[in-house]
Amino acid sequence: MSISTFFNSYAGMYVAQSFCHSLIAAVITERAVKAWRIDDPAVQQRFHLIAVIFPIFSFPLYQAINASRGSALFRLGALFDVNQWLNWEIWGVVPIGLLFLIMIIATSLVFLFQETIPVIKHTLESRNAEHEGTQRGPEPFVERASKALSLEAPEVLILDDDEPVIFSTTGQDPVIIISAGLREALTEDQLHAAFAHELAHIARSRRPLLITVFVLRAIMFFNPMVLVKFRRAVRDEEKICDDIAVSLTRNAKALAEALEKFYYKPEEFPEADRHELPPGSIPLEEYSHNLHLASRIKRLEHRATDTAGNGWIAFAITLLVITVLNYYVV
Amino acid sequence: MRTMNRTTGFLSFALAIGVLVVILMAMNWVPRAFQKDSFRRYGSIDEVRTALNIRDIYVPSYFPQHIVWPPSEILAQGKPFPAVVMEFKDAGSGEIVLVLSQSRGGPFPAGPAIDLASIKETVPFMMKGRSAVLVVGECAKNEPCSRITWKEGSYTVTALMKAAPFELTRITESMLR
Repeated sequence: MSISTFFNSYAGMYVAQSFCHSLIAAVITERAVKAWRIDDPAVQQRFHLIAVIFPIFSFPLYQAINASRGSALFRLGALFDVNQWLNWEIWGVVPIGLLFLIMIIATSLVFLFQETIPVIKHTLESRNAEHEGTQRGPEPFVERASKALSLEAPEVLILDDDEPVIFSTTGQDPVIIISAGLREALTEDQLHAAFAHELAHIARSRRPLLITVFVLRAIMFFNPMVLVKFRRAVRDEEKICDDIAVSLTRNAKALAEALEKFYYKPEEFPEADRHELPPGSIPLEEYSHNLHLASRIKRLEHRATDTAGNGWIAFAITLLVITVLNYYVV
Repeated sequence: MRTMNRTTGFLSFALAIGVLVVILMAMNWVPRAFQKDSFRRYGSIDEVRTALNIRDIYVPSYFPQHIVWPPSEILAQGKPFPAVVMEFKDAGSGEIVLVLSQSRGGPFPAGPAIDLASIKETVPFMMKGRSAVLVVGECAKNEPCSRITWKEGSYTVTALMKAAPFELTRITESMLR
């Protein structure tokens, strides 16, 4: 099967058009969030998830509305015909379609190694493994906060580690695991803030809608735009949990201070790794981690008290524009 | 204050959408501008022959009187595979009643001009020594429609007409030597 035959088949059109639809949806949602000054991370996440979920259904939906949408004449009058690009041969030799195929294969591999395998591993570990660490006695704050979130209070384990680590497992019997190093480094208020954040993760992981989104996202495993936007939505999730934590503790400052403990510092890297980097610099992944932390801390330090509604009108307009525009993108 | 913010937000969003539409149109124009043999409209069959170097373009020598010659629309491409689509109008109604397409890359859906909405019968038959497939059905408004597909050299040729199969068979037979 040649590349052009593949991109003229239903599967090929689905792959190419869903990529275009997600790219356009991503551009439009980014613009919408800025235009309407949407600061609430829960609303932002809703917008970002359009670019993740919409392209799963857009192509079959449009084809059901108009079966001739893939025809030559419709393509000629379309706003954007992706096949024109995919069939274009660079210097008459390499079709852009081939580069596109390489890109979707690379994205599929990233999805497999960075998302699927770690999630499966984490799920199996949560289900089967006994968590290492010393069990802490009943934690009054965790019990109180769990009650406020209608949760059963999770177990709290202390890990024998000096590094600042805190995470939670979100299975049937959730557990909050905190390192002894972090436990020592945090004040009582900061510790409560950190626990509240983890409790928020546990509470949100039980929402059926969110679980459905995570499962649906796997359908777009080949789509690089969906990969980017999904990670963005995951980052929104951290901010949403920050807000829930603050609503439980009424102390944004304590959470911001607790977050500062998670900054990566160049001097913490092994000597061997540091040699490969310019002085004072840190690897890209850690740099991105620091940026994200900085934006969360800044948000917590400058919390706005006025929330500009839940943005449903803006959401509806944005979704409508994306749906109409993408109909003419084939 | 909030209403003003919303209005400014809406205007800013509308402007961004306008810019996006222009960018998409420009991006759509680029490959057509640089690839002369990409899918596009042509004024005549001779123009297709010259521009795309497609020698074998199958045209009927018989036309019922109600069909207008030359074709109202000629669309063709040289890459990724050669393909030509011709549409013919009815002299009375001005509606497109016949679509002829030939493609070297498998089925090449021409367009929405004639939509064979329901299929009543599919019949394989021999047409001047070629194995062809006749599909009889109905288009929108319960009009009789028929389609014939066969292989001619390296091309797959399809004729779709808003008419009974008898008339279409006469047209397609006249396309063959």
